[in-house]
Amino acid sequence: MKKTLPKYYPLIPVFAAYLIMFIIGFSMPGMWQMVALLAFYCALGQSWNIFMGMTGYVDFGYVTFIALGTYGMSLGITYFSQYEWLGIGIIGIGILFAMFLASLSALLEAFIALRLRGAYFAIACIGINEGLRHFIEGAKIWGGSEGLIYYGALVQALGRTTVNQLTSFWADFSVFIIAALAAFLNMYFMRSKIGYALTAVREDEDAAKVMGINANKYKTIAFLTSGWLGAGVGAMAWGLKLGHVYPDDVFVIHYTVECIVVVLLGGAGTLLGPVVGGLIYGLSKYWLAVIMPGFQLLIFAPIIIIIIVIAPEGVVGLLKSKLKGTKLEMFIE
Amino acid sequence: MALLKLENVTKRFGGLVAVDKISLEIKEGELIGIVGPNGSGKTTLFNVISGVYRPEEGKVIFDGKDITRLPAFKRAPLGLGRTFQIPRPFSSASVRENVAIGAMFGTLAEKVTVDDSLEIADRYIDMVGLEAYRDKAAGTLTPVEKKLMEIARALAMRPKLLLMDEAMAGMNPKDIDNMVTFIKKIKDEEKIAIVSMVEHIMRAVAGLAERVIVINQGAKLVDAKTEEALTDPRVIEVYLGHSKDESKWRSEVWKEVKNKDE
Repeated sequence: MKKTLPKYYPLIPVFAAYLIMFIIGFSMPGMWQMVALLAFYCALGQSWNIFMGMTGYVDFGYVTFIALGTYGMSLGITYFSQYEWLGIGIIGIGILFAMFLASLSALLEAFIALRLRGAYFAIACIGINEGLRHFIEGAKIWGGSEGLIYYGALVQALGRTTVNQLTSFWADFSVFIIAALAAFLNMYFMRSKIGYALTAVREDEDAAKVMGINANKYKTIAFLTSGWLGAGVGAMAWGLKLGHVYPDDVFVIHYTVECIVVVLLGGAGTLLGPVVGGLIYGLSKYWLAVIMPGFQLLIFAPIIIIIIVIAPEGVVGLLKSKLKGTKLEMFIE
Repeated sequence: MALLKLENVTKRFGGLVAVDKISLEIKEGELIGIVGPNGSGKTTLFNVISGVYRPEEGKVIFDGKDITRLPAFKRAPLGLGRTFQIPRPFSSASVRENVAIGAMFGTLAEKVTVDDSLEIADRYIDMVGLEAYRDKAAGTLTPVEKKLMEIARALAMRPKLLLMDEAMAGMNPKDIDNMVTFIKKIKDEEKIAIVSMVEHIMRAVAGLAERVIVINQGAKLVDAKTEEALTDPRVIEVYLGHSKDESKWRSEVWKEVKNKDE
């Protein structure tokens, strides 16, 4: 136990960033929406990065988890809001459903897709995502393509004041919590046997197996954790906040691409990277949408290309190499 | 009791029989040399023992347990460590982390924490003499340093049997002599059995092994005490040519060619 604390130093800048964001959003009027958006990108980046950064696998189907999280919350509220005595507990049931669906999908994907490597893995994940969407629409489960609308049910069960508080503050606040939790878990994994095992698997899977490492087990742990966190973000930021869900809105690869951009901008496999990437991406998207509505993606593409050319390891990767040998080194991971 | 026992192990790749009904026994604390020309099936044999391949026929018994069908990652914790012909370091990780990974998932897997493993790693890094490179990324080492790092990594697993695949290939005679002394030293200090595979460096085999197993075309040719094995006419035939008459004929042809060139 003697050396446990110093190892977690790199969490300090991450938590500090989240705290500053939260204080700005909470105390300055009109800033909450933007801060919530930033927290959303940071949380997604951080959750996606746990799996990608540690295993080197690029999960193009990550939005599946976010979508299933949203559906989990929707189902929880839709089917349990009629039991009045449950009260606020229906949110808990929604979270449980979200975790359950995410676990199911993660284990299924792990069983099928984690046996594949490189581009084949990415394609398989996209396939599972698209397949699931068409399945929901085609088999007409969970409302099919018409989706589920449960805002009314939520108001009826909990009352308008509570629901307003939930959707305007607590949903966003829990995204902050998920982002912080993701950072902590990422750090914990990096410092534990899981991190060492995944480093070995990433570098040379066959050699790792001969060294006694159960590659599939450790990959599944990282995948499942990453999926749970993604489902948590979906359940809160979409499921609870919006009060409705349509398959066409949630199974959108666009969000996976945003995760990838956030992480690559900040620095893949680093702890601070998703925060920095989330801030850069979120702020510039927000700002460009204000000053040049409609053109933001056109302007954003070259900016991303320039950053990736200048700093292929991401902003944090660049920072890390600049700080090497200085006292600040131990705070950046 | 034999530590490792192979019974009629056969491994085929399509029509090619890479390992052909090989049976052998290795006792605890033995130092064995496996020799054979290029392509004779030595590395395949190693891969069958360490679990990279599963044999089509036969049994692999380690420490009294049938491990023929056991996946590779379950064999390491039983006490099977190995190095690779072409070193396979975890390049981006430091030497210390590489060796610690060995300690973390080897026979001590259930007992050690990350911190313990790093301490064990330091011990073996000192043993192979890589102290100066402790925090360097393993990918930046020279090939010889990578081989030493792999030995440290395999030793940190605290195996009962260490399989060394061509530990001395590409080294100069001085390094080979050092390596031979070193392997003998670790065998005595760690009290483990070592199987060292050597393609053709007879200098190394003669100085190193107590017993030599010669493999040719996938089958076991000779299994005897080192001196006996290396002077066996069949072994000489495999390495130097066919019968006496033929080699005489060859040397004459060679002389003629040389004379013409001059």
